[in-house]
Amino acid sequence: MSELVVTDLVAGYGDARVLHGLSFIVAPGEICAILGPNGAGKTTLLRALSGMVRGRGSVRLGGTELTGRSPDAIARRGVAHVPEGRGTFMPLTVEENLRLGAYVRRRRTGVDADLDRIYTYFPALKSRLRQTAGSLSGGEQRMLAIGRALMLRPRLLLLDEPSLGLAPLITRELFRIVRAINEQERTTVVVVEQNAHLALGIAQQAHVLETGRIVLSGTAEQIRADEQVAQSYLGYRV
Amino acid sequence: MAGFLQQVVEGLGAGAIYASLALALVLIYQFTGIVNFAQGELAMFSTYLAWQFTAAGLPFWLALVITLVVSFAGGMLIERVIIRPVEGAPELTVVIVTVGLFIFVNAAAGWIWSFLIKDFPNPFPEGALTAGGVSVGYSTLGILGVVGVVMGLLYLLFQHTKIGLGMRAVASNPGSARLVGIRVGWTLALGWGLAATVGAVSGVLVAPLLFLDPNLMGGVLIYAFAAATLGGFDSPVGAVVGGLIVGVAETLAGAYVGFIGSDLKIGVPLVIILVVLLLRPRGLFGRAVVERV
Repeated sequence: MSELVVTDLVAGYGDARVLHGLSFIVAPGEICAILGPNGAGKTTLLRALSGMVRGRGSVRLGGTELTGRSPDAIARRGVAHVPEGRGTFMPLTVEENLRLGAYVRRRRTGVDADLDRIYTYFPALKSRLRQTAGSLSGGEQRMLAIGRALMLRPRLLLLDEPSLGLAPLITRELFRIVRAINEQERTTVVVVEQNAHLALGIAQQAHVLETGRIVLSGTAEQIRADEQVAQSYLGYRV
Repeated sequence: MAGFLQQVVEGLGAGAIYASLALALVLIYQFTGIVNFAQGELAMFSTYLAWQFTAAGLPFWLALVITLVVSFAGGMLIERVIIRPVEGAPELTVVIVTVGLFIFVNAAAGWIWSFLIKDFPNPFPEGALTAGGVSVGYSTLGILGVVGVVMGLLYLLFQHTKIGLGMRAVASNPGSARLVGIRVGWTLALGWGLAATVGAVSGVLVAPLLFLDPNLMGGVLIYAFAAATLGGFDSPVGAVVGGLIVGVAETLAGAYVGFIGSDLKIGVPLVIILVVLLLRPRGLFGRAVVERV
């Protein structure tokens, strides 16, 4: 039984087609890494999954077709997308940002408990509840964006370049937390990442994208072991 | 001294009206970055509706409530039908659409109710409170009170309700707002509805002081622009403070600066707009986003 089933996904911007028919599946509770060079279409893939970019083909989450729905409708079906960069509400406080994450939840019960849970993942946020998101450091903003995504109680968490622009130490911490979240919440995760080494460290499955096509798929170990892949697509020696 | 205070009080009364229309301008600007040039005309149209209801024999306050509800729905409808198609178009396009709306609403009001002036009932009693040589008209007190209540309600809406939080999220980052599941299109329509409602209040407040005709809000709109520019176009608090300052400045200038008198008073908001844009373009309360890189 697969949680996310992507079939022949085609997407782009205007006339410029970026994704040329992607197909892959992600099992429930799994972390799937999408790797590849700049311009391969990694970000576009996540945007197509969350509805920010119109796609053709089929994206099914737990049996429900998502293609053609608006981003807010897809969010209501349990897809939380943490976009590249910050994606926080700068003038709003940290707590307001987190509560917005639970915006689509019908019942208010459990929201406070979830806030507490998020502070255990990201203790730095707890001391800054009343500060505006814009006053946080880059790493804290990334944590806030992920925390806000978790407030949705997502079935599927989409992470776009969580390491971008962060110091190595903070990046490793962030990936450790993402794995902890995945293990404790059983949340299915699709993570797009330039830093293949880090992403393969937490993922079970990985797909390598180049110019809008999947050129290689396998378990994280297989991809890591394939030295030729590492050189030609990921640009470094493992 | 008492004469000076008297002028200040009268300025505050006028300023509260500018503040309420400025508040309407800011409500829309916050969400869409659009300056709605038709805001005053929508307020004028709402005022005619209120007049029509009272002329039909409804008690004033009931007529007002119905007017506000209709204005809210009308504001939402205008966003859905007229603004939506140009959403995301260059700013100039949207501005021209609102200018077109200005002309259309003005002409429509003239066509329906004619350009002859009408007497608008004053909801507040005649007379004044006098203290320390300063007399404050009940009408001025009433205006200040109503604008205060409107502000309070908006504050409660934005700071203490889920819908208000969602609206602030849309104002700050529409893309991320979509990703947390907020229906951004409806939120924008809600913003237009609220703005039309607040604008209607300003029209109903100013109509008894002037006369009701289709050009009722022309002058008020210029003062409201000055107020919003002074306070900061993205700050509701700024709109209100700016409105009060503009009102007082206008009254004092008319009273104490010999050559201005009552004829040149309209120059005051223009000078304020110019000075603010030169010295502090984001206004007194405009957002200087604190942002760490």
